[in-house]
Amino acid sequence: MSKEAYGLLIDYEYCSGCQSCEVTCKETHNYPVGKWGIRVLEEGPWEIEDGTGVFDYNYVPVPTDLCDLCIARTSKGREPACVHHCLANVITYGPIVELAEKMTQKSKQVLWFPQYKPLTAKGKFVPTKKSNSEGVGGAKVEVEANESWSTAAHRRSDDDHFEMGLVE
Amino acid sequence: MEEMKAAPVVKLDTLSDVNDIGKPWRYEEDGLTVTRLSPWSAPGCHPTGCGLKIYTDGEDRVVKVEGDENHPVTQGRLCVRCLTLMDYMYNPSRIIYPMKRDPEKRGDADAWERCTWDEAVAIIKENYDRITKQYGRESCVCFTGTGREGGTFNPYGSVMLGTPNYCYTQSGYACYIPRLAASSYIIGSAYPEIDYACALPGRFDDPAYELPECLIMWGKMPLSSNGDGLFGHAVIDMMRRGTRLIMVDPRMNWLASRADIHLRLRAGTDTALAMAMLSVIINEGLYDAEYVEYWCYGFDELKARLNDPEKGMTAAKAAEICGIPEEKIVEASRMYAQAKPACISWGLAIDQKANGMQAGQCILDLMAITGNVDVPGGNVLGDVTSGLNEVGFGFEKGVGDLVSEMIGLAEYPAYCNLIMNAHADLMLQTLETGEPYPIKFGMYCGNNLMSCTSAEPKRWHDAILKSLEFCFTIDTFMTPSAQASCDVFLPLAASAEREGTTFTHYGASMGIKGFSQAATRTGEALTDAEACFKLGKALNPQWWTDYDTVEDFINHLRLSNKFKFREVAPAVYVQDEVTYRKNECGKLRADGKVGFNTPTGRIELYSTIFQQFDDDPLPYYDEPQYSPANTPELLKDYPFVLTTGARPYAFFHSENRQIPFCRELNPDPIVEVNPKTAKKLGIADGQWCEIWNQFGSCKQKAKLTETVDENTIHCQHAWWFPEEDGSEPNLYGNWRSNVNNLVPNFHFGKLGFGAPFKCLLCNIKPIDECLDTDMDEVWTKFKREDQ
Repeated sequence: MSKEAYGLLIDYEYCSGCQSCEVTCKETHNYPVGKWGIRVLEEGPWEIEDGTGVFDYNYVPVPTDLCDLCIARTSKGREPACVHHCLANVITYGPIVELAEKMTQKSKQVLWFPQYKPLTAKGKFVPTKKSNSEGVGGAKVEVEANESWSTAAHRRSDDDHFEMGLVE
Repeated sequence: MEEMKAAPVVKLDTLSDVNDIGKPWRYEEDGLTVTRLSPWSAPGCHPTGCGLKIYTDGEDRVVKVEGDENHPVTQGRLCVRCLTLMDYMYNPSRIIYPMKRDPEKRGDADAWERCTWDEAVAIIKENYDRITKQYGRESCVCFTGTGREGGTFNPYGSVMLGTPNYCYTQSGYACYIPRLAASSYIIGSAYPEIDYACALPGRFDDPAYELPECLIMWGKMPLSSNGDGLFGHAVIDMMRRGTRLIMVDPRMNWLASRADIHLRLRAGTDTALAMAMLSVIINEGLYDAEYVEYWCYGFDELKARLNDPEKGMTAAKAAEICGIPEEKIVEASRMYAQAKPACISWGLAIDQKANGMQAGQCILDLMAITGNVDVPGGNVLGDVTSGLNEVGFGFEKGVGDLVSEMIGLAEYPAYCNLIMNAHADLMLQTLETGEPYPIKFGMYCGNNLMSCTSAEPKRWHDAILKSLEFCFTIDTFMTPSAQASCDVFLPLAASAEREGTTFTHYGASMGIKGFSQAATRTGEALTDAEACFKLGKALNPQWWTDYDTVEDFINHLRLSNKFKFREVAPAVYVQDEVTYRKNECGKLRADGKVGFNTPTGRIELYSTIFQQFDDDPLPYYDEPQYSPANTPELLKDYPFVLTTGARPYAFFHSENRQIPFCRELNPDPIVEVNPKTAKKLGIADGQWCEIWNQFGSCKQKAKLTETVDENTIHCQHAWWFPEEDGSEPNLYGNWRSNVNNLVPNFHFGKLGFGAPFKCLLCNIKPIDECLDTDMDEVWTKFKREDQ
């Protein structure tokens, strides 16, 4: 992995689901209603062991395909807007290799390596022409016309055969 | 307030090294002007004073809003309500010029006409002079809310209108003030807030600080509400450092999932639980005997009461009442008592029941007998100079002897005299009957009572329309209340357009004093201080001779003339001086002697003041008026416990519904139903339902979630739909999803406090209609021009 690869480390033990990341992202990027650069997903609540009153309940912020890691901010040395405004202070921005090391120090964390508009990033389809076109088409053999053509969907067998559409 | 020095900054570890720490209150950056301020959100919120940086361009238009990393507590963090401030300020539906309407055309959304400030003031003055001449100044009422600029703005009532009838219109003042009253009467201090090191220069690492080992979160969800000025996410900062939680809440919310013990009590039974915890701690000898001996009064009486077979409480008895296993109550009591230090964060749920004063009393007793009052990491107090920063301001001058005419003062002095407010329920009665005298002139100042504050909102609507000859408001947006009943609408400045202060916790505990100087202005909108000054000079100039400018008024109202606003405001955030254990050094009493500011000089476990007001001096448990235990005969029709008003992040009460990015987080009014209950009733996730009881009904959209148990229904509060037709009778759909339709007035306790907003009964059924909000419509109607 490139040392220049940056990501977001999220401590979801303490993500309270406040959605400040979602809204500051929309304000920063001017994304309208219905479009998001990050979303907070809700998981739970459900009881881990029935009757104990101990519940599983987690919020996990997930960067979308419109997350550009706030390139306009980070190129000036600032942290992304979601990091700055996160009420629970659970988002850390940095080189992924450093974040991965940090991730080993505490449980309930998730590390994201977002990709802004991944299809665009892949670029337009361009045929590579890497394959050797010779030989791909097969042997050079003359083929004759087919007088006994039939519907291929009707598989023939010797003892049980009828032709659909020809039954009177 | 000895000095006004900018608070030192404590940088968050996630903040980049390229940041704005140490920048002045105003500076230039990349061709933009940046103004740092400490406001109360859009207009309304709690007094948290979160740090903001407002970026304005050459035309003084706000182009960016960011959290200010210089704030010692918020450190750059911001919630969605401030992050969308631009969408609020430049919302196409915001009102930025004064408007008038023929009183005959109240309720007609198309009948408003733009006018000048001079004309608006002249109309108000003409009506004020005519009405007060005929009926007296007591015929005026100010409907007030949570506050939006430094406080609830008492001078509107006292020195502007000269009326004793300033009135928060929620039944039994069921928000904050019952807790404040219990504190004032029992501890002699306004409000014991948990110690989150907000006023310590080094914050959590300050040498004077000790991290609480245990925090009880009692009927409060501060993460979304920032209730009473406590920056809720400070609790997460503490949990990360090792504080362990006990949660007392009927709802299994996110914070409860992080608690060591969750006491998931039946809504409204808090006093039984609190008495049981006192009982366990006292009978097991887990209390701080030395502290009790020196600093508490009436311990033996309290112990006797708790052990009284009839009026007392045991863990076993509470277990049955509250529906929690007995061993969990015992375990929680031991955990809290043995932790050193420990603190209790108590919330709105305490206020929202007739028996709430006793719940508050018990919680204060819990803090006291464990020796956790005003110690590092415990519940800390303000000193003798703090208190609600403006209660009573201008009363002597503007109200004088008329104070005796205050509605409810004779019947409920423990309420009215404490907060200098007319009693909410008795005001409703007065509006309806004209007794003891007619109320003819009204003003809303930070209140949208028909959507949010008041129980039986249609009843308030009818009473106001029947009684008031004239009514006006000052606000940022049209509200259902103003649309129904106002004749003049004055435009209010938003937070970035204000000059003023925000003192955390209303100034009632050690905290931060925040200052804001306007970053910009919009249209002809004025701040509350400016409007009050302008109208005061016009209506009652004799009380305004001391003030030549609005700033003179602010200096007096907010800074007691000890400082000049313009000189201290550049500090932006100033921390109070912290002294712990003020009872040991005479800082709690006017006479400077050691002890607490109560008649006995001690924390009164046996309250001589409750006794003086004819309430029981010791705690007792009363069932909610309508509950499975108290009214089993009603369960046939209303089989579920109804609790209301849990706070979402998207809204502050009835505000922000027209802010697209807030609304998008919570487009529809949500009723929480347990999946098992829903299955039984045939309710699908996302299906609209009708919720009703003996007082009324409303429609909300079901969210199936185990947040509520099978016997409990939770409804969101304060819903209206600004995208809809505003004219009567629709009034922006105000009555359709309004859960206050189901809440009665006149169900308060002996001292006049409390209302059952969080403990009623109801029934629920699925309906065929789909009433989903069309977010495209909200976006098209309310987005900014440049979006």
